Amino acid sequence: MAGTAVPLALRRTRGERLSGAWYFLRRNPRMIVGGAIVGAWLLIALLAPFIAPYDPIKVNPIDSLIPPSPGHWLGTDDLGRDVLSRVMWGSRISLSVGLISVSIGLLVGTSLGLAAGYLGGTFDLLIMRGIDALLAFPALILAIAITSALGPQIQNSMIAIGIVAIPAYARLTRGQVLAVRQREYITAARTIGATPLRIVLRHIFPNVMNALIVQATLSTAFAILAEAALSFLGLGPQPPYPSWGQDINYSQRYLPNLKWWMSVGPGIAIFTAVFAFNFLGDALRDALDPRLRRSG
Amino acid sequence: MIQYILRRLLLMIPVTLLVTMGVFALARISPADPAVVFAGEDRDPAAIEEMRKELGLDQPLPVQYVAWLSKAVQGDLGRSFQNKQRVTEAILERIPVTFELGLAALTISVTLALLIGVLSAVKRNSLVDLLSTSVTLMGVSFPSFFLGVVLILVFAYVIPGHIFPPGGFTPITTDVGDNLRRLVLPAVTIATGSLALNLRQVRSSLLEVFGHEYIRTARAKGLRETVVVVRHALKNALIPVVTLVGIQVGAIIEGAVITEQIFSIPGIGRLAVQAIPSHDYPVVQGVVLVSALSFMVSTLLVDILYAWIDPRISYSAASA
Amino acid sequence: MRGLRIPILALFTVFAVVVGACSSSGGPSPSGSAAASGSAAAKANYGGTITFALENDVSNLDPMLSSLFVDRNIHYAIYDSLVRVDPKGNIIPWLAEKWTTSPDGKTVTFNLRQGVKYQDGTTFDAASVKWNIERYKTGKGSQRTGDLSAVDTVEVVDANTVKFNLKQPFAPLLAALVDRAGMMVSQKVADAQGADFTLKPFKAGTGPFILTEAVKNDHYTLEKNPDWWGKDSAGNKLPYLDKVIVKPILDGDVRLTNLRTGQVQYVNRLAGKDVASIKADSSLLYQETGSFAWSSMIPNEAPGFLFSDHRLVKAVAMAIDRQELLDKGPAQGVGIAGWGPISPAHAAYDSNFKPWPKADPEGAKKLVADALGPGKKLEFELLISSGDAATLQLAQLIQAELAKADIVANIKTQLFNDIVTLQQQHKHAGMTLVGWSGRLDPDGNTYDFVVTGKPNNDSAYSNAKVDDLMNQQRGESDPAKRTALLQQAQQIYVVDDPARVWFQFGLSNTASAKNLTGWSIYADLIPRFETAQLGK
Repeated sequence: MAGTAVPLALRRTRGERLSGAWYFLRRNPRMIVGGAIVGAWLLIALLAPFIAPYDPIKVNPIDSLIPPSPGHWLGTDDLGRDVLSRVMWGSRISLSVGLISVSIGLLVGTSLGLAAGYLGGTFDLLIMRGIDALLAFPALILAIAITSALGPQIQNSMIAIGIVAIPAYARLTRGQVLAVRQREYITAARTIGATPLRIVLRHIFPNVMNALIVQATLSTAFAILAEAALSFLGLGPQPPYPSWGQDINYSQRYLPNLKWWMSVGPGIAIFTAVFAFNFLGDALRDALDPRLRRSG
Repeated sequence: MIQYILRRLLLMIPVTLLVTMGVFALARISPADPAVVFAGEDRDPAAIEEMRKELGLDQPLPVQYVAWLSKAVQGDLGRSFQNKQRVTEAILERIPVTFELGLAALTISVTLALLIGVLSAVKRNSLVDLLSTSVTLMGVSFPSFFLGVVLILVFAYVIPGHIFPPGGFTPITTDVGDNLRRLVLPAVTIATGSLALNLRQVRSSLLEVFGHEYIRTARAKGLRETVVVVRHALKNALIPVVTLVGIQVGAIIEGAVITEQIFSIPGIGRLAVQAIPSHDYPVVQGVVLVSALSFMVSTLLVDILYAWIDPRISYSAASA
Repeated sequence: MRGLRIPILALFTVFAVVVGACSSSGGPSPSGSAAASGSAAAKANYGGTITFALENDVSNLDPMLSSLFVDRNIHYAIYDSLVRVDPKGNIIPWLAEKWTTSPDGKTVTFNLRQGVKYQDGTTFDAASVKWNIERYKTGKGSQRTGDLSAVDTVEVVDANTVKFNLKQPFAPLLAALVDRAGMMVSQKVADAQGADFTLKPFKAGTGPFILTEAVKNDHYTLEKNPDWWGKDSAGNKLPYLDKVIVKPILDGDVRLTNLRTGQVQYVNRLAGKDVASIKADSSLLYQETGSFAWSSMIPNEAPGFLFSDHRLVKAVAMAIDRQELLDKGPAQGVGIAGWGPISPAHAAYDSNFKPWPKADPEGAKKLVADALGPGKKLEFELLISSGDAATLQLAQLIQAELAKADIVANIKTQLFNDIVTLQQQHKHAGMTLVGWSGRLDPDGNTYDFVVTGKPNNDSAYSNAKVDDLMNQQRGESDPAKRTALLQQAQQIYVVDDPARVWFQFGLSNTASAKNLTGWSIYADLIPRFETAQLGK
């Protein structure tokens, strides 16, 4: 962190900020690529009901296992369902797993971190021991245990993946809070009688934002993969609604039979989405992390 | 320093208690009743009650926990509900397997990360940088189970000669060559998942070091770039990498969960994946305990190592 | 397929005595199967190691505790049972050379093979049989109590003769003694190993192979028992193979890949989707025969649940298209459409029993309207095991077929063990989709599933007439009369007052390396490697 009292962003005018944004967009092709793919998937998820060529659920045994063709760009699966339509609809579940589980982790983790860092003392000690325990719990085994205890349902996968993500946010936030707590502007705010909540929200939180955005982007990528891994272990979302993780597991057994197209659809979907979130996260980290920017 | 280590070890106790309580409670939320699952054909209520007693499930939860804990501290983790194997024995049998696989994966991942990372940091924002970060990110973007199966199929049907067998495990004591041959595909599968992370760490810590005064001084002195990078920058940039490697050693069990399943490797991850859905509580508890302990111990070791490498860090006033 | 329907007349006690007496003079049975496969010439090929890839992890090697099909693949190699079957399903002498049933059917006397030793060196005799049967009947957590429920006491007549006193005549007894309930275990090993026995029953059996290494989740090593009593038709000592390594490989595709790359020589229970390509592969040998296995949907008929009105169960049974499930489902045509639990591999099978030869959605609609009132839809939860793509495919196909009869099946996935728990406590809301690996005797495919209060009666079905018929057939020694009783009951619990929805029979199939010969395929899906040999 730079030693300046006011975060850099606050000192700039609006125009400067915009051109600054344009500057690093140009300097960061990764952000453009990542952002564009993420944007495209969000759009597909939003518009799935209008752009998907077929019903993703309806079984048509007569049309089963058709290779890619003009009628079915990505072919059909063993129950005669159009793979492209399933991939489009699947983006809804897979992306929501990502977004909702990240929100859970972000909300709970950040609150705990802010509270622990700001209040300090015994409260801090207790919270951080809990966080340590969560961190020491092997993440995937924890997710499997939670999902198998609560039952293989989409909400439960989201909760499990969300809980696994809590420690990262909590530690990140707490660290930042500790770092800025003693700064002059915080002390100043305190002396003029600002409430703790106001101090946290107005003065401390903005300092943590950048790091949180990066972490959230990266953990969305993790969540999409985790959903696939849970599906692999039989703990994925309920049928018949398509999700990428469920579908790639469902179709994988046809790979040796050379019915590759069933896997290609959900495979490319997971791959591009995870890649884009990771790419975007990395680019954001480089752009938003002042230590790295200074050294450029 | 000794005091610091003792304090850290002491702090591990409440954390371990929390973890074990967590897994204890978690295992018992599910609707299934192990007494029914393992009672056998005799399903009259009396027989099920007897089975519940035998499995120790008739006691109140806190009693069960204390009973388990008091045995666990003596190294006795109970017996598996499913096959009656001693859990301690089951875990000890599998630790070397998982550890070997994890180390192999880590070696591949860190070596590549160092090579590519240096190149990528030196030529920051060049095409090389962009390519290396993107390609490694592609690796992490594949679900590992899918990558594993594709690797198996490719080496079985596409690449002639069956260089790498489709899964299975041979103990290193039986046949070193076969052991290594079977290790390659699963290790690569795991390494692909962590390469991007390690690369990112190497690259960014190098970049950070590049910004420091002494590097600028070294450059200003007219030292050759290779010397600057290898002698000055890399050495200092390695500290965070050591941290990362240490944490990954602690998380080896975790990383192997899915891969062991695909490649039929008898490690700890596979043990856990099978025990959780079948409600084999003693096994689940044992695996989580061991895995949490290994994570905490390796984190501690990393911190100690850290202090040893970098004398600027003092732990006398270290925060909790 | 028709040719595979083999009468198993030997199952019926009276006839079995005759067969038993005859074949006991003909020498040990492995000769039969070795000769049948045509490759066991006088010159035997000794030696060699093969690897057998198993579909799942072995759970219990103690026959008493075992409740999974997969365990039996190893049991058959290390333990001998009192009697066995030949590939055609006839009961043949094994550890018992001969048996006689008393005229009232209430005692069965076994004359035991002499000079047989357990692999640990202890002697196999009548006292050992008594100890084993009593252990199965009273041991803690025993899964064999049902098989032996009719056995009251076991008496040692002399060292080589043992008498089973039955509570009532029990036709399926011999068939039960073929499998785990008749497997003989060394008392010394079992006592010494205690709780570890089920994991490591080293040298515990009298069988053709000795378990020498057991690494759970990885492999089980079976080494040749040089002192085994069996001989081939030319008098050569069996087994030929030195070693069989059994390796659980959970992923079906990885399993097959291991076979194709020569890592493994034998795989059973192949997925329908792979059969065509295996048949086409010239380096592999594909074999199949009818099996005893069936697939079913299990309604919860307990009071207060939707399917307590059995007309609704019948509506579901009428609405599904069994031929489409077979052809377009995961079986991909490898199997036989079925309506009841008595399989084509049983003598009691009735090939004309097709109550709904074609799907009848209109009939189903009428039944639902009768039961629920006009305009009401039948909607229920179909609970399936999570993580298995093939089951999911099948369930979705069923769902689509039921939709044609306006029946709504909501698929829900759940962990297999949780489903088992729910079923046993009769708490599942609608239906589950669970099959059965099948038993040699039709009783093992029917009785426990349809008789009031029996352990596998997961649908909580109760019909006094069915109970009566099923108990009668157990005591009936005349095969023809017994078949009639079994079929009469089947008409009731499938059609008139349905207990479940049965829809398919499985096939027993194997793929193996071309140079592995001498063995035969069995309807029970389990390999017997004692007669197998590895060509050069």
